Amino acid sequence: MTETASRAAPGVESDHPTAAIGRDLGACPVKHFDFSPARPIGSHWQLAKELRLACPHFFNTFAQGYWVFTQYDAVRDIYKNPDIFSSESITPWEPDPVYRFVPTQIDRPDHIGYRRILNKWFSPARMDQAEPVIRSICRRLVAEAAPVGHCDFVNEFALRYPTEAFLGVIGVDIAQADLFLEWVEDFFAGFGGDPDAVDVMVAALGGIREYWVDALAERRGDAEPRPGDLCSHLLFAKYNDERPLTEEETLDMLVVLVLAGLDTTRGELGYMFHHLANHPGDRRRLIEEPEIIPYAVEETLRYYTIVFGDGRKVGRDVEFHGVQLKRGDMVYGLVSAANRDPTVYERAEEYVLDRKNNNHFGFASGPHRCLGMHLARREMQIGVEEWLRVIPDFRVASDELLLERGGGSMMSLQSLPLEWR
Amino acid sequence: MKLVVDDAVCSGHGRCYRLAPDILSYDEEGYVAGRGEPIDFPGERRELAVEIVGTCPEQAILLIDD
Repeated sequence: MTETASRAAPGVESDHPTAAIGRDLGACPVKHFDFSPARPIGSHWQLAKELRLACPHFFNTFAQGYWVFTQYDAVRDIYKNPDIFSSESITPWEPDPVYRFVPTQIDRPDHIGYRRILNKWFSPARMDQAEPVIRSICRRLVAEAAPVGHCDFVNEFALRYPTEAFLGVIGVDIAQADLFLEWVEDFFAGFGGDPDAVDVMVAALGGIREYWVDALAERRGDAEPRPGDLCSHLLFAKYNDERPLTEEETLDMLVVLVLAGLDTTRGELGYMFHHLANHPGDRRRLIEEPEIIPYAVEETLRYYTIVFGDGRKVGRDVEFHGVQLKRGDMVYGLVSAANRDPTVYERAEEYVLDRKNNNHFGFASGPHRCLGMHLARREMQIGVEEWLRVIPDFRVASDELLLERGGGSMMSLQSLPLEWR
Repeated sequence: MKLVVDDAVCSGHGRCYRLAPDILSYDEEGYVAGRGEPIDFPGERRELAVEIVGTCPEQAILLIDD
């Protein structure tokens, strides 16, 4: 990470002479944004909107510098062209990251071999099987919270619930949840581009990896896969029906599942419940018409997308939406701007509880679309159903401005105090 | 009326079969069943078919009238 760039004032646009970048950017606007600092709730979507209205693309001089595309069509085309836009790095301020997520950072054709092994574990059919477990975890946590009358929603219920549900789905004892909660917090502190938090991030990665090293060792002598145990299943899986996975591959996969599966759902649940706390009419409607809850979940994923943007590395020189890109450049598709693009969505700046034709990019798109999307949806749907059944009325219990974690990571409220009678 | 799901573009979001669980089904990896081939869709449910086409994040679905 470039020291001078990353130390500039957080999130402030400033003038940088084009000459400093060392190449001709044509007519492309040049700006300087650090997207990593926390901001007041909603500011990331506001910023995304301002950037979309200002220009379809610009060059951000943060870190080594990268291109930002702000409109739906360009974001779609980045996702649709994985042969140009490599997933080797998905963080545009870090073209050569210290971690390697499998299959997240693997390109075609190798990518699909890994996805085939994992897809079945997170398919809708598997979620149907897992639903009773997920629902019972959710019911227990709601029943524990209800008599207390208040909680910090995102740091208690919304983190513990998806963590336990995920561990249940992959066959890990949910008594281990506390371990995972801490690692996930530490990882995302550093992932968003804050140079001071990189050591904590690396330590958390090491902790998660060690956990899986031990889990694999314990299962390695088994004669057959343990039912419902993903870790055990991976020891027996064949990549492209040809060869076993290496230990490196297996660990890379298990680590990314933890990071992608827990914090993300927490982020979305936080925004959804913040919305419901402030919109009693929407709460009432979801109670009276539970069949629209799936629509509300999708609208949450569109309107309150936690993906500020998604990065890719340019694989070859190409002209793209009027910009001459060079091999090795990083691009950033501003998903949060695309999901509210008024050329695609009617009433784009409104949360429409039962919105139709909602083809949002909240789970990305293309071959790397979110592996855990069916799990995330199921968790959100069950979370809303079970919470509203027991706690139909609740409100935000603070007059203080809530903050959301920076857009470098997935966005998430840093706290959400709720109260109810 | 038929729906055609582009096999090369579909990435298994599952939005289509969730909107029409009585018409569309899915395979063990979560992709819509029958993709790449025309899938029969009841003509009287055109509104639903249009919604399915408009909801696909990959824009992978084509509606063909008989």
